Amino acid sequence: MSAKHYLAWFLSVVATALVALVAFNAYCEYVIFSDPNGASVETVSGFERVLKPAWLDSIAPQMVFVGSSRIREGFDPVLIDAAFHVKSFDYGVSSITPYEARRFLEDTLAHPSVRTVVMALDAFAGGNDAQKIGPGFDELRLAVTADGRPTPRRALWLFTTRYLSGGAAGMHALALYDLMQLGPGQTATDRPDLFEAYSRMTAASMRLDLAFRGERVMRLSRSAHEEFKAALADLCPRADVRAYLFFPPDNGAVIERYLANDRAGLLAFKQTVLEDVVRHNAVCPNQIALFDFMTRNAITEAPMPNGVSETYLDLVHFRPPVGVVLLKRMLGEAGPGTELVAPASLH
Amino acid sequence: MPFNSYPYLVFIIVVVLVFLFLEERLPWAKRAFLLLVSYGFYAWWRADFILLVVGSTIVNYAVGGEITRRHALSRPTRALLVAGLVFNLGLIGLFKYAGLFVMSADGLLGLDYPIPHLFLPLAISFFTFEQISYLVDAADGKAKRYSFLDYALFVSYFPHLIAGPIVRYNDLIPQFSSSRTREERDRDLSLGVTLFTLGLAKKTLIAESLAPFSDVVFAAARQGLAVSAVDAWLGTLFFAFQIYFDFSAYTDMALGSSCMLGIRLPFNFNSPYKAASIIDFWRRWHVSLSAFLRDYLYFALGGNRKGPALRYINLMITMLLGGLWHGANWTFMIWGGLHGLYLCVNHAWHAATENVRWPRLLRPFGHPAAVLITFAATTLAWVVFRAQNFSSALIMLKGLVGLGGATSFVSFTPLAALALVALFAIVWFAPNSMEMTWAFHPALDPPKGYTKVRAIRWLAWRPSRLSATVIGLIGIAAVLALSNLSPFIYFQF
Repeated sequence: MSAKHYLAWFLSVVATALVALVAFNAYCEYVIFSDPNGASVETVSGFERVLKPAWLDSIAPQMVFVGSSRIREGFDPVLIDAAFHVKSFDYGVSSITPYEARRFLEDTLAHPSVRTVVMALDAFAGGNDAQKIGPGFDELRLAVTADGRPTPRRALWLFTTRYLSGGAAGMHALALYDLMQLGPGQTATDRPDLFEAYSRMTAASMRLDLAFRGERVMRLSRSAHEEFKAALADLCPRADVRAYLFFPPDNGAVIERYLANDRAGLLAFKQTVLEDVVRHNAVCPNQIALFDFMTRNAITEAPMPNGVSETYLDLVHFRPPVGVVLLKRMLGEAGPGTELVAPASLH
Repeated sequence: MPFNSYPYLVFIIVVVLVFLFLEERLPWAKRAFLLLVSYGFYAWWRADFILLVVGSTIVNYAVGGEITRRHALSRPTRALLVAGLVFNLGLIGLFKYAGLFVMSADGLLGLDYPIPHLFLPLAISFFTFEQISYLVDAADGKAKRYSFLDYALFVSYFPHLIAGPIVRYNDLIPQFSSSRTREERDRDLSLGVTLFTLGLAKKTLIAESLAPFSDVVFAAARQGLAVSAVDAWLGTLFFAFQIYFDFSAYTDMALGSSCMLGIRLPFNFNSPYKAASIIDFWRRWHVSLSAFLRDYLYFALGGNRKGPALRYINLMITMLLGGLWHGANWTFMIWGGLHGLYLCVNHAWHAATENVRWPRLLRPFGHPAAVLITFAATTLAWVVFRAQNFSSALIMLKGLVGLGGATSFVSFTPLAALALVALFAIVWFAPNSMEMTWAFHPALDPPKGYTKVRAIRWLAWRPSRLSATVIGLIGIAAVLALSNLSPFIYFQF
């Protein structure tokens, strides 16, 4: 074979594969965005780190939930949008690091449609540099410079992320499969086998999970605190955005473990965040409401009839209906948890 | 603009297409075009630092030209050469090492000088070394006088600009004006896209998959956590393979990019973990750097001409400075020092066993044992190279000998074991991309005295429908994985 024909064959193979890939991703995106249950795929675990920044851009939501898998599993935009009449987006990703949390918050604030940000504070508890994202994160996930400004390549980045990345292909394939499995009239609630956020913790799985998470602590490291302060600084000038921060309602059994493993660390975490928020509210146009659900309350101490929890899918991940309850509480309704407004409100 | 990014893919396609047009229609414009796009390539990272590259090019071209002129008139050139070296070393010293030196002086002498935090210009280590070689050769009367356009393109030619290979002006400049037939052009394009694709796949599918495992362990050590033996071994081995595939990938992509433009870059990577000695390792790993250090530092210090004692001292100095070239951190110098020590031991061993006849029974085990020992030594040295500081290196070394803690960041699962077996099989037994494509001359010949490349028959690349399909599909898989990437390790140097 001549070199010329080799080249032609090579380019044909690449071009065919690329066209097929773009077509597949475009089709999936169309299905996801037009399906009434499409937003429920934001609760699905997979390649969300790659694709969610691009989805955020396409959806242009008014309300965004930022955080770890607790957020991802706990806030289904399909439920939220119906209950609160907003366009919301679930920006939760697995094992988020404090650095990512700050960057994803910045990314959220860069979208002019956003009026409300809800953020779970456990995102800042994983302050282990061992999980810090490499230097390509800013460029490759968000198309921003090291100091957070969008690069001129954002349009190219959006295109490649949505249509040419392995993450998009993987996430789209997962999402399409899940949506196609839903029967007529079914929603994600009806298929916990597909939408894990809706599955339920059993007494047996709780015991297993407790063994798995038995050594966990909930503390704010110095580097994580720096990221948290940077996040507050990003929020500070934004009078047009209302922010809600909360300590998530991990199950009472695991809260006991946090206290047993490092009581002082947990209390110092809450104290530090509270002081920072009080200071923020005193000087910034932006105002933050801070809530603590990581206490003994109706959610964390919820009974498990027949050994099955309606509140949790495991010890730290609350189910989407609980997310609605949390949001109602944060938006002013009565309910579990405590609003932290002054140092005295922390117990 | 890293090679492993969508912008670079767009960039290289456009550059090659325009270059092909110019080559056909306006051949006189192709060098100017390459210079422009090379500056654009650099400016993509940070436009203001292009002034530094241009300024450094102008100064070195002027100094080199004056040295050449004086040499032709048999007038002294030493003062000018020294001035040129001071300029270049001053530049790299200021931008790269000032912070380290001031911080170290503050720490050692209890001073309180403010530590300069200058932004490190990308590729400064590479374009400075390349220009030093030009000045030294000019002073020796070896350098020809080239046009400024050729010289500027030699310094900034984008496939080697960011992370090498370290090129010599006399290797590169004559190629800028050469022309090629259509058959040669088609062959170059086929070879170039193949090499580039293989490199991209090594980076995205192998090196990047290994990075999280080594990163998590070394980061834990950085935090002061005592890492377990399993973590330390897996972290170290995965890093040894990560840097191998990362650098191999970068080299293939640089050579492939250049091949498409009809220009061959220096040979740079030849299965270093197949080396049966440290001497052999340095003839296979970053060949262009080791050849530069040999020719312009080791030989300049006297090499082995002044007796064994001075030879060892020269080796140590060369490797210590070669280590420090990699970055402003004393750990790099210690890494270089370790390799210097290894080289001294290696040479001493050769001298001591020159006339020893090994028993026939032992001979079959000699080579595998030598490869194993060399791999172990280089891998141990990677710990110091990868660690952020001495204390984390020490934590890792303690972990390796079982004196660490009980962390379990990386599980030694069957999959991890399988991955390790596959990686060892590739680096020890598989042919490398140079061997696979050597019949088509993908690079300049290895420097004199270096390990020769043997073209292979098994898995040798040649244009065929099957190879085009396989390489094309590998390319797609590599592109899909682009979204998980971080820059090449050697970009930071």
